[in-house]
Order: sequence, then C-alpha cells, then structure tokens
Amino acid sequence: MTDETITTDTAPPIGTTDDPYLEQLLGDKDAIDPTTGDVAIQNYTINFGPQHPAAHGVLRLVMELDGEIIDRIDPHVGLLHRGTEKLIEYKTYAQALPYMDRLDYCSPLCMEHSFVLAVEKLLDLEVPLRAQYLRVLFAELTRISNHMLNIGSHVMDVGAMTPNLWLFEIREDCLNFFERVSGARMHSNYFRVGGVHQDAPLKLLADIGDWLDTRLPRLFEDAMSLVVDNRIFKQRNVDIAVVSREDAIRWGFSGPMIRAAGIPWDLRKSQPYDVYDRMDFEIPVGTKGDCYDRFMVRVEEVRQSARIIKQCLAEMPEGPIASLDRKVVPPKRGEMKHSMEALIHHFKLYTEGYHVPAGEVYVGTESPKGEFGIYMVADGSNKPYRCKIRPTAFSHLQAMDFMSRGHMLADTTAILGAIDIVFGECDR
Amino acid sequence: MKPHSGPVELQRSAAGGAIVPPDQAFFNDLNGELTDKGFLVTSTEELFKWARTGSLWWMTFGLACCAVEMIHVNMPRYDLERFGAAPRASPRQSDVMIVAGTLCNKMAPALRRVYDQMSNPKYVISMGSCANGGGYYHYSYSVVRGCDRIVPIDIYVPGCPPTAEALLYGIMQLQRKIRRSGTIER
Amino acid sequence: MRAPAPAYAADLNGETIEAATRALGDMLVRAQDRVGEVTLYVDRQQLIPAMIALRDTPGLEYQQLMEIAGVDYPDREERFECVYCLLSLTRNHRIQVRVNTDEVKPVPSVTSVWPVAGWLEREVYDMYGVLFDGNPDLRRILTDYGFRGHPQRKDFPLTGYVELRYSEEAKRVVYEPVQLAQDFRTFDFMSPWEGAEYILPGDEKGMLPEAKGAPTPLKADEIKKADAEQSKKADPAPTPKATETPADTGDGKATKAKTPKKPSTAKKPAPKKVAAPKAKTAAKSAPAKEPKK
Repeated sequence: MTDETITTDTAPPIGTTDDPYLEQLLGDKDAIDPTTGDVAIQNYTINFGPQHPAAHGVLRLVMELDGEIIDRIDPHVGLLHRGTEKLIEYKTYAQALPYMDRLDYCSPLCMEHSFVLAVEKLLDLEVPLRAQYLRVLFAELTRISNHMLNIGSHVMDVGAMTPNLWLFEIREDCLNFFERVSGARMHSNYFRVGGVHQDAPLKLLADIGDWLDTRLPRLFEDAMSLVVDNRIFKQRNVDIAVVSREDAIRWGFSGPMIRAAGIPWDLRKSQPYDVYDRMDFEIPVGTKGDCYDRFMVRVEEVRQSARIIKQCLAEMPEGPIASLDRKVVPPKRGEMKHSMEALIHHFKLYTEGYHVPAGEVYVGTESPKGEFGIYMVADGSNKPYRCKIRPTAFSHLQAMDFMSRGHMLADTTAILGAIDIVFGECDR
Repeated sequence: MKPHSGPVELQRSAAGGAIVPPDQAFFNDLNGELTDKGFLVTSTEELFKWARTGSLWWMTFGLACCAVEMIHVNMPRYDLERFGAAPRASPRQSDVMIVAGTLCNKMAPALRRVYDQMSNPKYVISMGSCANGGGYYHYSYSVVRGCDRIVPIDIYVPGCPPTAEALLYGIMQLQRKIRRSGTIER
Repeated sequence: MRAPAPAYAADLNGETIEAATRALGDMLVRAQDRVGEVTLYVDRQQLIPAMIALRDTPGLEYQQLMEIAGVDYPDREERFECVYCLLSLTRNHRIQVRVNTDEVKPVPSVTSVWPVAGWLEREVYDMYGVLFDGNPDLRRILTDYGFRGHPQRKDFPLTGYVELRYSEEAKRVVYEPVQLAQDFRTFDFMSPWEGAEYILPGDEKGMLPEAKGAPTPLKADEIKKADAEQSKKADPAPTPKATETPADTGDGKATKAKTPKKPSTAKKPAPKKVAAPKAKTAAKSAPAKEPKK
C-alpha cells in the first residue's frame, strides 16, 4: 500500500525550518488538540495507481482520507479502454469473437459463451448436445482457473504468498488443458457459433478426469487449509465491506458478489443455458456479505465446478461438435478436400461470414465474476450493428465508494481483491 | 577472466549417460583461481555486464492479458527468478520494464512517467502484439499503436499473448543484448 | 426457441406485456415481443415514473438494472436509443425498456431509482453524448482525459482523429493528427444480386441509353491514355537508340546517323505517343540482330 509508484512531487525535507507546511502547523494553535497534544490533520487526497501491484491492472483511485480512514473514493476507469465495441462493429461475427477472449482475460471462454449464445439466439440455431457438454465443461474449467487467479491474488494482497504459488500450479494445468483442446493457452477462441471448434480428444477428457480426482483436490485443499482459518486472513477480511441484500440489488451486483450478500442467484441455475439444466450442483451463499464471504463463495464454487465437470465427463454423448448448418458453421478441412460445395461454403464463411437476421437480444451468462451480458443489435448484415458488452466489474467497482467508506486505507486491497476485478472487461 | 558464454543447454555426454554441466572447464578454472589466490581478476566491463545480466529486476507494468502470462512466468512452473529476474513494483529500483498488454491513450502518460522514474541503465521489453504495434486493436481510436511510440524498446516478444516460455526467452535475449553491448555508461 | 440461450421464464412474456400495459398506462408507447424478448418503448419525459412502476408493481418486480446500452441510428429523427435492461430476481424474467433521444434532449436520470445507473449513464454520455438530466456526476468515464467527440457514434471514425506519441522536444506525450501506415481495410462482400445498392466503377455504362447500332471499336491510335498529356511534356519523344555494334553502346554518338542503314520499319518518324518508343525499339532490335549472324 505504501508503494506509491506515481509520485506527484517531492516533499520538502521535514524538520527544516523553512518548511512552510510544518510552520503552518506549528503556528496554527487550533491545529493542536489541547487535550491530547495531537496534531489535527486535515483530510487529504491520495492517488492510488494507475500503476500499482494491488490494483489488479490499471485502476486509478482518487482517495480522500481522514488520517487512515477512507472518506471517499473516486475510481477512475478507462485506462484500458480499447474501443472493443467500436471495433466489433467493423468485423464480421466470426472475426469479432476473439475480442471476447481479450475482455476478461482471466476467464476467456466464459466471455465467448455469452457472445455465441447471443448470436445463436438471433439465428435460432440448434447446437448438438456434445457441443453443449463441451462448452459447459470448458466454461467450468475456466471458472476454476479464474478463481485460482482471484483467490491467489486476494490472499497475496492481504499478505500470504504460499497459497498463490500452489494455486498457479492449478492454473497452469488448466491452461495446458485449454492448449490441448484449442491450441492456445489463454485466448482459445474455442467456442464458435453453432458449437465448438474441434472435438476434444479422448485422452484429454481422461486426463481432465484424473486431474480432478488427484491433483486438483490435493493442491487446492492444501492451499485452502492455509488460508480459510488463518487468523490474519480473517482479521483482514471479516466484516470488511459488508453489503446488505438491498444494496446488492440496488447496485446491480451479480455473481459471487450477490451470492455473498445472501441471495441465492445463479444464472446457471435460474436461467440455465446449454446443458446446465442437466447438471446437479449447489449454489454457495454467504451469510454476512463481507469480503470473507465473497472469498468463501468462490472457494466453494471451485468444488462445485469440479462436480459439474465430472458430470459432463460422465454424461457426454458422442456426436457432432458443431451444428451441421453449413450456412453458419464452416466445414472441416477433410470435407473440403473432396466436396466442391464444402469448399464454397468454407470460402464464403471465412470471407463474407454469415448473415444474422435483424433483431435485438440481451444474453447474460454466469461468468466467474458475475453476469456477463451481450446486448446485440443485428441488422441482417454480416457484421453486428451494435454489440454492447455488459461488464461485471463496472457495477461492482462503482460500489467501491460506499463499500470502503469508513474503512482503513489498507482494506482497499482486500475489497478490491474480493470484487475480483479485471480491467479488460471493465474498460472494454 | 574469460567471458562466460551465458546460459547454454545442458548437454548429454556422448555415451548418453549422465548430464554434463555446461562449461565445466570454465567453472573449474574459476574455482581453481579463487581457491589459489583468494580473489578473481577481471575487467570492469565484464564485472558490470555480469552484474547487470544477473539481477534484472523488472518493473511490473501489467496492462492487459499479457500480464497474466507475466505472472505465470514468475510462478513455480517457469520460475523466472532462476535467471535473477525478480518482480519489483517500484520503478526506482527496477532495471527492466516489461510492458505487458495494450497501451491505451489514457495510460500512455503514466507509462512514460514510470519509465522516466527508472534509473539508468534501463531496458524495456515490449510483450505481446498490442504493445509491439497495436495488434488486434491497431485501428482503435483509443490505443497507442505500439508502445515504442512512447518509450524506446529493447526486446519485442511476439504473440497474443506470448506464452510464458516466450517471455522467458525474451528475457534471455535481453541478457544477451546487455552482454553484447555492455558498456559502463548507457 | 431451439438455441441453447439462457432459458428464463419466457412463457411470462405475454402476461408481462399485459401487466406493463396496465401499470404504465400512457407512459408506454408500444410493447413488442421479438426474438423471445419483451421490449417496452417508453415516453422519454415519463421515464422515471415508468421505471418506478416497473420496479415496484407486484407482477412486474424488476428489481435490478443490469445495463444501459446506447444505440445510434443516424437516419432517425431522434437518433439515439437508450436501452435499459432490467432483471427480475423474483419472477426470473428480463425486459428491455427503450427511450429515444437526440443530441440535445436530455433523458431523465434513473440514479434515484437505481444508484448503479450513475456509471452506466456516464458511459452512454461518454460514448454517444446523450445527456442525462439529474445525474449528479455526468463526466466522461472511459475515454481519455480531455477526449473530444463521442466514439460510438456511427459518424465517428474507427481510428479517431488523433494519436499519441512521445515528443523528445516537449519531453511529454503529445497528441497528433492520426496517420496510418496502412488504412483499415474493409471489404464489402455483398454480391450484386443480393441487393447491393451502389454501382461498381464501370457499371454506369450499362445504364446509359445505347446508341443506334453497335458502337465501332476504337482503334489503337485513337485511345488516349489518361496521363498522356502530362508525360508528353515531361518526356518528349526520344529518338530511338540502337546498339548494333559495340561502338554504339553508350559512347554518346548520335544514333540518327545510322538509321538509313536499317530496314524500312525504322524510317518512320518518331511517334508522338509515349508508349510507342519502347515498342519501337523492341521491334527494331529484332530485325537488327539478323545482319550480325
């Protein structure tokens, strides 16, 4: 916290007689409390970020402090505003999909999920069952890897180092799985409109099953045993930034933030998409709505995600992995070698793309951070007319002001860590 | 002191048996000299090169997606600290800045400010296609088309994002560059 | 609905429209149910009472405001559309509420109904320049400090107007007019028989009324090149050069002296066209080789 990297100007050395600030303090009799002799300090404003290791990216907070107590926080966002929404309007639907990966770069596949579901809804396209299972499987794997990053950095922000090292080992495993299924470690671009890009090899599915039984619980539970009952960790998190149910609703909370406030609201359960309605899992709910609850909700979600993945692995049927509608889904390369029609479709879909019928949809899915929505306006052409991205972090970060009011300066890192904020999607 | 050629791959002996450490003769010489005389003689240039390459503390300038891979390279699997490169969140004490991610217009003055605060000699690694030249966001109205418009760059690491291994290789390239062009002033 | 999109209680669409019509009365302009989503068009002046009614009326109960999306339709009279995406946690239902506005008419702010609207409205203001009446903190939020224009408007160029660079002279980061090494390439894949509305270059000839009888094709010497005028001045027809003997190669001798010896093709006066000399030399050098053999 003390590591202010953007210093505004150099302070004059304290103790010199020509220090105007000190002279002002000494000369001003009102500034000294007669009962204790303490110097009354006026509110001052400090600038946190935009380059700060605890800012989880490029957040800038202008904080008004009364001593160590926070009076007001004005978050400045937009330092990673890349104009994604504008760029999407200039790209075909297939070209716009990889922008989704780069929004919330901690959980790329869950971002793609909203986008493909929105386009499929406009197209009214049926998706084969195996593709739906694969999507759910990898979305949950993404959730695990996202929570590993968040839990790890949260505990690191409040002072613990070791769990982070172990949790990143889990993340590394997850990234390897993504790499094996899509070819890319992070920005997979695996979900496609109409299904997924490639089938997952059997060995990969077997390895994921083994990993869930052996490596994940060992690493995760070990790391968690160091944290969840840790006295220091609890002192830094319990009763910090308590949010009531009413506030959580009014401020548009979603995901672990609203669940920690005690509202059992999970889009996977209440508005199931893909094959979530076939999955058997539970929703963890907090009792108090503080940072510790948010943390524990995420911890439990990892276990539930592992449960969902196991069910996916057990129940996944054989079959096609993408819609066979050749006006939307390009044919595979092997097919192109002997079919002229497939070649034409491939060429048309990779140059012109498909045309989406006019309409407006809002599709929100449960990303690891909350409700990630796509408001898509299609005008019948091959490019979206408007693609509004509803970031999860926007409403959460806005609530930062009232959540941290009255807390100590050092609590901001715990609050920020518990919000689980990523600026790629917040600023777009 | 003969200059060391830098990190090289472990070589297996001809028989395919035990692993032979690289440059064993060099280290034997060094060891012999040290035990014999109690000190080593070298040129100041060699000494500076050795010191600069051996402790590259890097400024964490994580901006976007690449920052995640930048964290991964520090974590146990890739363990960047083997190379003496440790993360340092303060510009005053760091030697190299890794610009990891899309540099936007709003962030650019802060990047330059951090760079100006770093003490010489300072190096910059541009990580990922966004930092190299705008990449996927090249035509956006709010993105700087390459962070070399703001700060001078020593090493460009391509990829979107570059894997942790690629960044590791980029840091090794930087060490090589320092070794090659190491002078006292920079 | 065959697509695996989030399945909220879509069977409530019909009764939602009925309940909203009852609760909103004349505040509701029209309601529609399209692609499985309910949209209510609301009178801009009465947005706040309409939102309160949607939030508090039993049977509607849209407790959460998830998103405010702006959309720009430059052809409309009121070009901007603000789309409020509402979510009911108790009824498990979503609706969109839309109001229309333009650059100057302010939309009443719903920050008093949902505090979350503060930033969402700021974003719409930043991106489109829609004004919100009653928002206590209507500053820009995402774009750079001191940014000009509203980037999401359809008439704002993708690459913007300015770009950043560090200036060694000024010792700071400066803005400059944007200069691209390569322009953004946008392809139009509309095929003409699918209803492209523009005319490809050259196609306009087909539209002209045709003269009687087939047009006579132009002769080669009638064709004038577009740059013929310009290049004639710059490069007056050179006298063709020939290299028949080693002595001819660049010793600066006038080639004219030799021309009488050559076959008749070379005797023609030097043509005035620019393209001709090259052809001429080629034509001449071919027969010129033969005497050597």
